[in-house]
Amino acid sequence: MDLTHIHLLLNHFPVIGNIIGGGLFLLSLIAKSDDLKRASLVVLLGISLIAIPTYLSGNGAQDAIKSLPGVSKSMVETHEGAALVALGFMEVTGAFAWLGLWQFRRLARVPNWNLAVTLVFTLVSLGLMARVSNLGGEIRHAEIRAGQGTVTPEGALARTVGSFVTDTRWMWPTCETLHFIGLTLLLGVVFLVDLRVLGVMKGVSFASLHRLLPWAAFGFGVNVITGMLFFVGIPGQYIHNTSFYWKVALVMLAGLNALYFTLLEEPWALGPKEDAPLTAKIAAASAMVLWVGVMYCGSMLPFLGNAF
Amino acid sequence: MPLPPAAILAVILLVLGVTAVVAIAAYVVDRSTARQERKD
Repeated sequence: MDLTHIHLLLNHFPVIGNIIGGGLFLLSLIAKSDDLKRASLVVLLGISLIAIPTYLSGNGAQDAIKSLPGVSKSMVETHEGAALVALGFMEVTGAFAWLGLWQFRRLARVPNWNLAVTLVFTLVSLGLMARVSNLGGEIRHAEIRAGQGTVTPEGALARTVGSFVTDTRWMWPTCETLHFIGLTLLLGVVFLVDLRVLGVMKGVSFASLHRLLPWAAFGFGVNVITGMLFFVGIPGQYIHNTSFYWKVALVMLAGLNALYFTLLEEPWALGPKEDAPLTAKIAAASAMVLWVGVMYCGSMLPFLGNAF
Repeated sequence: MPLPPAAILAVILLVLGVTAVVAIAAYVVDRSTARQERKD
């Protein structure tokens, strides 16, 4: 199995997931059901995370088919550019979905402004992802092509951004520094929460630390943006790098783990001086292991796999 | 190849700018939710 297989496996998720998540979300608004709202926000958040490896594996697939007869480089780059725009919208949707889940814990409801923003971004993401799928299909299916292939306003946007990242002297060091600041924000907060659950700082309630989670979310956001800029800049450096595969897989698992602390009652009910249940401790310990794994794989990118 | 002074300045300004925007955004999210929590 290589990145082409992974891309073919994952590329339906953003579209179908958006239809399911968006449909549930619409239904929750009509039915005024808080449970349905939370379920749909979880789906939208999950899909926004899955969209990341879907995009990344696309460059691996591109590498595998670029020399095949009948494969047009410009069509591949048009698909890549459209995917970058759609990914941006999906990640914003995921960010607001997470914020809604976090706000629900604090307010016992999702504020109306967040519902409106999430709805708009979900609908736009769905449209953009459907367009990306169509452009991806055109690469290998001449029967759905119109002439030389669809022309999009953004064209080969990913290559333009990539060239800007690599050709601008201050861009890479800026992203590198911001990537570390994002990491510090994210891990600083995540480790505080996890250590409390594991029994350190027992005087502090979980709810007090829960308040810090948006700082971690913003740190994660900075890292997704800067990480994507690195990838778009020099995709070849990452698509043949085992360390990078592990890093992305561990980020996905850590994202799944984070849902436990956002959604479930167990950690939320943890008051001052109270001991966390075993499941919460396992979740906290595994989060720490996962994030250390992410850091390790990130630092080892240039040293494992000879891809740099 | 070392970065020219203008590029170093650009890196510093951008890093400070983005960090400030992130900090302000996180602070605003926290304060507005806390205010809403008190109101509820």
